[in-house]
Amino acid sequence: MKVSISWLKRYVDIEEDPKTLADDLTMFGLNVEGIEDHRPDFTGVVFGKVIECGRHPGADKLSVCKVDAGGKEMLNIVCGAPNVRAGLNVAVAVNDAVLPGNFKIKKTKLRGEISEGMICSETELGIGSDPGGIIELDFEMEPGADLRERLGTDDVILDIEVTPNRPDQLSHFGIAREIAALYKRKLREPDFFPLETDDSFLVKVEDHLDCPRYSAVCVDNVNIADSPGWLQDLLVSAGIKPVNNIVDITNFVLMEMGHPLHAFDRDRIIGDTINVRRARHGEKLETLDEVERKLDNDILVIADDEMPIAVAGVMGGRESEIRTNTKRVILESAVFDPGAVRRSSHSLKMDTEASYRFEREADIGITVRALERACYLIEETGAGEPGRMITDRIEKKDSIEDIRIALRVRQVNRLMGTHLGSGELVELLERLGLFSELSGKDLIVSVPSFRRDVKAEVDLIEEVARVYGYENIGREEERSSTIFSRVSSLDRLREELSSFLCARGYAEVIDSSFMDPEDPETFEWRKDDVRSSPVRLLNPLSVSQSVLRTSLLPGMLRTIARNASVEQEGIRIFEMGKVFLPVGSGDGLPEEKQHLTACFARKNRPVQWIDKQREYDFLDMKGELETIFEWVGIDSSVTMERDKADEPDYTFNWLYKNELVGICGMIPRRVSNRYGISAPVYYFTVLAEAIHSLGVDEPAYSGLIQYPSVKRDLCVVASDRVRFSDIRNVVKKRAKHLEYIRLFDYYRGDNLGKGQRSYAFRLSFRSPDGTLEDKAVDKVIGRVLDGLRTELQVSLRME
Amino acid sequence: MSDDGIDRKVLEQIEREATDRLRNAGDLETLEELRINYLGRKGVLTLALRSIGQLPQEERPLIGSLINEIKGRFNSLFDEIKAGISAGISDEEPYPGDPSLPGRRMWTGGPHILHKVMKDVKEIFYRMGYSLAEGPEVELDYYNFEALNFPKDHPSRDTQDTFYINRDILLRTQTSPVQVRHMEKYDPPLRVISPGRVYRNETPDPSHASEFHQMEGLYVDRDVSLADLRNDVTYFIHSFFGRETNVRFRPHFFPFTEPSAEVDMTCFACSGDGCPICQKTGWIEIMGAGMVHPNVFKFAGYDPDSVTGFAFGLGIDRIAMLKYGVDDIRRFLANDIRFLSQFWRGSWVGAEK
Ligand SMILES: [Zn+2]
Repeated sequence: MKVSISWLKRYVDIEEDPKTLADDLTMFGLNVEGIEDHRPDFTGVVFGKVIECGRHPGADKLSVCKVDAGGKEMLNIVCGAPNVRAGLNVAVAVNDAVLPGNFKIKKTKLRGEISEGMICSETELGIGSDPGGIIELDFEMEPGADLRERLGTDDVILDIEVTPNRPDQLSHFGIAREIAALYKRKLREPDFFPLETDDSFLVKVEDHLDCPRYSAVCVDNVNIADSPGWLQDLLVSAGIKPVNNIVDITNFVLMEMGHPLHAFDRDRIIGDTINVRRARHGEKLETLDEVERKLDNDILVIADDEMPIAVAGVMGGRESEIRTNTKRVILESAVFDPGAVRRSSHSLKMDTEASYRFEREADIGITVRALERACYLIEETGAGEPGRMITDRIEKKDSIEDIRIALRVRQVNRLMGTHLGSGELVELLERLGLFSELSGKDLIVSVPSFRRDVKAEVDLIEEVARVYGYENIGREEERSSTIFSRVSSLDRLREELSSFLCARGYAEVIDSSFMDPEDPETFEWRKDDVRSSPVRLLNPLSVSQSVLRTSLLPGMLRTIARNASVEQEGIRIFEMGKVFLPVGSGDGLPEEKQHLTACFARKNRPVQWIDKQREYDFLDMKGELETIFEWVGIDSSVTMERDKADEPDYTFNWLYKNELVGICGMIPRRVSNRYGISAPVYYFTVLAEAIHSLGVDEPAYSGLIQYPSVKRDLCVVASDRVRFSDIRNVVKKRAKHLEYIRLFDYYRGDNLGKGQRSYAFRLSFRSPDGTLEDKAVDKVIGRVLDGLRTELQVSLRME
Repeated sequence: MSDDGIDRKVLEQIEREATDRLRNAGDLETLEELRINYLGRKGVLTLALRSIGQLPQEERPLIGSLINEIKGRFNSLFDEIKAGISAGISDEEPYPGDPSLPGRRMWTGGPHILHKVMKDVKEIFYRMGYSLAEGPEVELDYYNFEALNFPKDHPSRDTQDTFYINRDILLRTQTSPVQVRHMEKYDPPLRVISPGRVYRNETPDPSHASEFHQMEGLYVDRDVSLADLRNDVTYFIHSFFGRETNVRFRPHFFPFTEPSAEVDMTCFACSGDGCPICQKTGWIEIMGAGMVHPNVFKFAGYDPDSVTGFAFGLGIDRIAMLKYGVDDIRRFLANDIRFLSQFWRGSWVGAEK
């Protein structure tokens, strides 16, 4: 809401400079977002006429003009504005002029052409923001006449952020009321023209919920003309273009008192009744903005006996608009249901000053007052003769009365942390026009109709806090809370995992929750894969962001591709983020799962002088995942399963206690190519939530064995039906005092025979009872070999 | 003991000799010769393994595995010495002439700056006694708006452009729905924070993103007051931005708190003198806060006469921008590693800085 300080001064004294006023209002809850100082900050700018305008011989974008600025000689001025042309009335800064920012204008040469001044834009004069070109003056003056008075106003405009709960602040009088409360000053009401109610003409309201109050008055002998200058100036300062006296007065009352009025040409209304009703299907109305609107039953209209003449609370119709020959006017001052106006303005896509206020609930108590104010101005300015009688249809008489709310002194202090007495509260509230009476220890506060946002005790407490000053609410009362924080072990696991990956050389990324609906197909996920049915948005920003991600991988591939130019060598990234699976619980919400997914591609280490780089491979990926699971503490129990149902190939599921805890795989080149990556990408996903809910054992201390270990290497041959994990399980089962088993060689080749493989591994033994003797170890080895032979048909390799 | 003399002693002798010769090899050629001598088709160890067949059945496994052990050790020593020779490193000179040559390196990585800020903020609140509460990002209209006292079809909803899944389900526009969810589940007193992602259907520009992160705070107890809110919020701002930062509370409107406040802190760029960043006010808005509205308590099943509480919400992206001087909020989710690595302690190997 833009308010003019000169306008505000009509209702309240303001001595503060604009900056102080803005700061004080901000701290009072009226956030001042901008201050526009319209007081002129320039000298030496005069009225001029462009007589000739030609191309600059040395620069395409410049023109050379002959300008009549009142002197004996025409001025030669070089100008770069696109809109400069012969015949234009312009503002000329002549030699020695000073523009805002202490910018002095001097005769100069521009690309070889003499320039004896400057033709100004609004920005250059600091009176507006029109970077597009120079000002085109739409009035005539003597060339050379000073423009200071004419272009600047002696006003400062405050741009105040009005929150949706405070429609009462959408007017100069409303803001003045706040200023009066802020500084404890008197508020001056404007003048009114007293009216009496006699229902002088018929108003029919179809549904009173749509229109709780409708007041209107007739004005005869209307004389359409321009408004007086003072009124036009004030309108312009509030950003409203003057039209004619009647329209200007309705707009003035709107900006002054905050209540929207509408003026109809009485002689263009058919019949003697004003109907407030829903539009009938198929009805049409050409509105003031010259657009023909198709109406339907959702839209509330004002209609005469035959057809709609206005969209209620939004905009009037063109047929009944005020013209130069209008003789009789009906002024409407009504209150429409916020929801009804909102529906109309949304479905017709029309946002007007009126609809903005009705949507925020207009003051039902003010309709007649607003007419009285308008009639005063009409009579005062000679725009017409207002009737003495008005029609005022109001469904519930008590809806305009004050509301009484109990305010407990104790509750005020409890919520604010203060020690205020009832007397102080009465005084603080009075400043806002909220009067109270004592009731025992507490207060009963009367809230007038212009403060319908104050509905309950807590709203009054906010008003008390605001006037008392948030900054005066003390910090002296330190309290010690009896609530201690509980550590979330899941959160800790997630944090530890990401620190671990960071330390292992992964760059953490955070990506959008949206993905492209094409992603599942690009990735070749099967149609029945849950990832192929993402949750769709009704109103996405774009098609490529129209579904929620079911996997972190598409985003990560895009990240890799995006960084390709920076990091061609190799990339290692991870993300901890949510995926959204359309499984859903009873309330219809999708299932949200937190995934930790890491990707790497290309070279395994930076290029350096000592060790050679090589391409990442599947075993790098598997090793990473093994390390993580070991580090988390679930190493030995994880089993890996090839997910045969999955596309593309090479995806493995990791199970722990029969639950999925990890996924790993390779994204083949044909898929990564589609994202602009020339290498295969390896990835793994850790399901931290699953691991957490399965429970991870705390590490346990088992003592240290002081005797030395004995190591033996074995090399065995197995058929390809046997896996190393089978061999390891047999060894673990059979080998007493086994400390570890470590594979150091794996081989498959023709000389072993078809389908045969050899494994060489080292066993380390250690006993708590003493140094192991060779003989004892030999015996264990014998048992192990026995077991391998009988259970797996695995035998010692002979050459 | 067999006729050929392939027994443990002979093998140990072979290994000692091989080790000595490997260690004395001064160049790659000698080294390769040794490998062929021992492991080639006619190499000493290869032949030894082949002759195992002539041993008595019971000796074969042990001698066989011993030979394999020796082969393994030979190979790893071979690799080690080969690496040393190629780099010019030896026991006598552990670095190859120039000690300023860089050492062996792996890739370096680091946390995302938003994650780091989120973690720092969480830790400050954990110290104050707050615990973690989490809620869904795809949320019911009920929790995101209705139970937070935003009536349907009310202009207060206009301030938060919303992505919808359907009429009742949306992407949460704020972390505040966790308040009601948490109060429904637990009895007072409670003191929680809830960080997470929120969504607004806005065309992104340098200061607006359609996806960003917030942290919600909620403290409900018997007599929690506005003064307590000021304490906690001020403590947080001092911890995160430094003790010299001034904090002010200014009245504002949020449907789910009453009284409501916006919290400003001294502009970091001009220390309060006024500059373009703070629009010449000297202050920067940092969070919204207020006393929990009685209606919200009612929705959550609490008795507003027996408890009071405060809530606050702050933008993680915003405070990250403020603290680190990031000029465009869209950078956070763009994942340009040149950007990300500027916030690591180390640097992205290979990135030009
Ligand atoms: Zn500043």
